[in-house]
Amino acid sequence: MAGAADGDPVDEYPGGVPAGHPVQDQETDQARDREQGAARRGARRAPGGQEERPVTGGLAGQVPRQAGPPAGRPGGRPGGRAVPGMAFPYSPPSLEPPAPPLTPARPAWPEEPARPEAPLPLDDRVPGGGVPGGGVPGGGVPGDGARDGASASTGDQPPPARSSRLGRVGGATARAVGELLITVGLLVALFLAYQLWITDLFQARSQSRLHDRLAASWQAPPAPPPPKPSQPPPAVRPNPAVGQGFAVLHIPRLGEDYAPVIVEGVGETQLEEGPGHYPGTAMPGETGNFVVSGHRTTYGKPFNQLDELHPGDPVVVEVSDRYYVYRMTRSEVVAPDRIDVTDPVPEHSDATPVEAVMTMTTCHPKYSAKSRLIVFASLDRTVMKTPGAGVPFASGEA
Amino acid sequence: MYGWIYRHLPGPTPVRVTLALLLAAVVVTLLLFVVFPAVEPWVPLNDVTIRS
Repeated sequence: MAGAADGDPVDEYPGGVPAGHPVQDQETDQARDREQGAARRGARRAPGGQEERPVTGGLAGQVPRQAGPPAGRPGGRPGGRAVPGMAFPYSPPSLEPPAPPLTPARPAWPEEPARPEAPLPLDDRVPGGGVPGGGVPGGGVPGDGARDGASASTGDQPPPARSSRLGRVGGATARAVGELLITVGLLVALFLAYQLWITDLFQARSQSRLHDRLAASWQAPPAPPPPKPSQPPPAVRPNPAVGQGFAVLHIPRLGEDYAPVIVEGVGETQLEEGPGHYPGTAMPGETGNFVVSGHRTTYGKPFNQLDELHPGDPVVVEVSDRYYVYRMTRSEVVAPDRIDVTDPVPEHSDATPVEAVMTMTTCHPKYSAKSRLIVFASLDRTVMKTPGAGVPFASGEA
Repeated sequence: MYGWIYRHLPGPTPVRVTLALLLAAVVVTLLLFVVFPAVEPWVPLNDVTIRS
């Protein structure tokens, strides 16, 4: 017996129940016990409701979920249902309600019909309790009836259903708003990523194309000039079309490989390809102001570190046959409408230019267009291109 | 919205996940290379020039 009491009720059930039960009957003459658990081995020790669960679970091995309901009654009925074959004297009281257990397919339902029994007595009792022999075929019917009864009983809950529908609508709205906000956030983040990295790809591609074209245009004509005159040949003033690259900018402090192609024009399209030259201002080396604008944080950020230049740093502008070496003089931060920094003599609109200067503009502070960073430089010398010689001052100050 | 899209994707879960990722990739690509370049001029973050 001890083994039976300790053993798994489910395993024990097939053989253990019939044998164990009579003993139990002798020990406890509570009909209820038998009614509630056909295979109640552990009940003796702990007659609490907890012990009944394993019992019903064991009984309803085919109906696992029936074991779930802690309520003794529904669980008890299936127990009673099984009893008839084993402890018939006590089965009659339990025979009447057992109809529900005949629908094991829907374990959750038997509980429901138990309560609506009163409203639906006929449906339940006639087939299920009345004809035990025909219980099998009839079992399906009562089951359906029970299910109907259950659905009828759920009919008691339309108000909750309505409120839950309202809740669903509210939940859907909240979810839609939430998804919208998430989407907006993702869009903003994606746009930032685009600005910071994707635009660099665009400019890298443009620059590569500009370099190729410029190199090709410089390779073709340069040979003709007189080989060894005492004076350097006069500079050929480039006359680029808008969007065309015509010079290469070298700023040794920003790295030896810093060499963006300067394009003509400062429209968005041109600036997306490289630093742009203000049309109408001086050309490289020319007396007057050579003005160039460039992006600081996007599109290759050519002027990103413009604030790191020191006075005296070389700023080399390479054209087809020579290098113009400017030297940085000073920088300042101005409002975006300070057009006078682009004058032939910067910030002196009325003055007549006597020297060649250069002005670079970019946005300031970084990631903002609130102000402009202006860096001035003035022409120091001109270095003719010679085969084998690289960019002057490329490796540092000289 | 995302749930609705996912529910309307055909096939078993692996196929659905693949399709969803593909869909996201297509959307991101369109945004990065078509929509954002078109919208960018109206976002005045990049103004580097001096204008009166």
